[in-house]
Amino acid sequence: MNSWGQLAVIAAVSLAAAGGTFLVKGPPSRVPSCDPAILKPGEICLSQIPAGAEVVWVDARQRSDWEKTGVAGSLLWNLDSNEDMSAFEEEAALRIAGNPRVIVYCGDENCGVSSQVAERIRALDLGAEVSVLRGGWRALKAAGRVKDSSPRP
Amino acid sequence: MKIGFGIWLALIVWVRAAGLDFPDTLKEIHAPADVKTVTTDFEFTNRSDKAVTVREYKPTCSCVAVTIKGGKLRYLPGESGVVRAEFDMGNFSGVVDKAVALWLDNDPAEKPSLTLTVRVHIPVLVSMEPKTLKWDLNGKVEPQIIRVTMNHSKPIRVTGVSSSTEAFKKELKTIEEGKTYELVVTPTDIATPGLGVLRIETDCDIAKHRIQQAFAVVRKPSPAEAAAKP
Repeated sequence: MNSWGQLAVIAAVSLAAAGGTFLVKGPPSRVPSCDPAILKPGEICLSQIPAGAEVVWVDARQRSDWEKTGVAGSLLWNLDSNEDMSAFEEEAALRIAGNPRVIVYCGDENCGVSSQVAERIRALDLGAEVSVLRGGWRALKAAGRVKDSSPRP
Repeated sequence: MKIGFGIWLALIVWVRAAGLDFPDTLKEIHAPADVKTVTTDFEFTNRSDKAVTVREYKPTCSCVAVTIKGGKLRYLPGESGVVRAEFDMGNFSGVVDKAVALWLDNDPAEKPSLTLTVRVHIPVLVSMEPKTLKWDLNGKVEPQIIRVTMNHSKPIRVTGVSSSTEAFKKELKTIEEGKTYELVVTPTDIATPGLGVLRIETDCDIAKHRIQQAFAVVRKPSPAEAAAKP
């Protein structure tokens, strides 16, 4: 068998193995993983939030995304220049004063806005513990915690 | 068999080597207090041995216009290009990061190849510290102070103070006209939880810095705060 034939055999074996895995285990999981051991300071995994805990959720995505698929009862606070930052501050102060825990999320772990928003909320010094949700909205969606979603294994 | 395996390994390396080289993925800009937009160029070169296509580029907020010079999206080995991002800075002051995510070739939707960030430093002309005054429910009714400091090349005077509620008394003291003031705040009712929004209006010549706000709150201390008290 020449080298091209050998390559074809390797490719065929690989494809068969991949196909078999897909059939047996299903498509690759898109659920974002979160390991508490490797979190950055100020981050939290969804699994670390006790069920029934009083949490003020802050959505750092764009307004249209928050309106369509935000966590029920969440606040909007993003860094869009056409938004009113003073209004965000005021609304956040009203909701956060008296609540021990605030969790900020944006689209996913690549977004970067949630950590900035969390810093701005901490600067208000309202006495709440402010964390950024690792995995953001994708993690919430996978857990069935946002509108029109159901928990995924 | 060895040759076939070698070709297979070479293919894997060839795919993984795909990518654009950006000398800077984070740029820091010190902007003036009245900045409206910030424009930044990110230069890049395809230093891989295959063509690379910029499949998608997306800012993290609607306040950014992103273009790639000449509209060119496919770069042959050795070719260079420029990603230009124009950020609308709105009413921001302080430090703000604006980011643009880039997806190349076969990047999965949830993982772009890289993120370009512009960190803009905008002077805070009128600062109020602390941002929140706190009293414990049923605690001592003692006045607390918010220090108002002007950080401009010319004087900024406080022209008005307002509160969202009668639950807090407020008194403005001038420490140095146009430079430093103290806002003395006292709750009128310490037995009821409440929050007041305290706004100061100034004659600052830059509109976005003119009005600032701070908060006053009477609340039950959090368990952590209660535990920290002697």
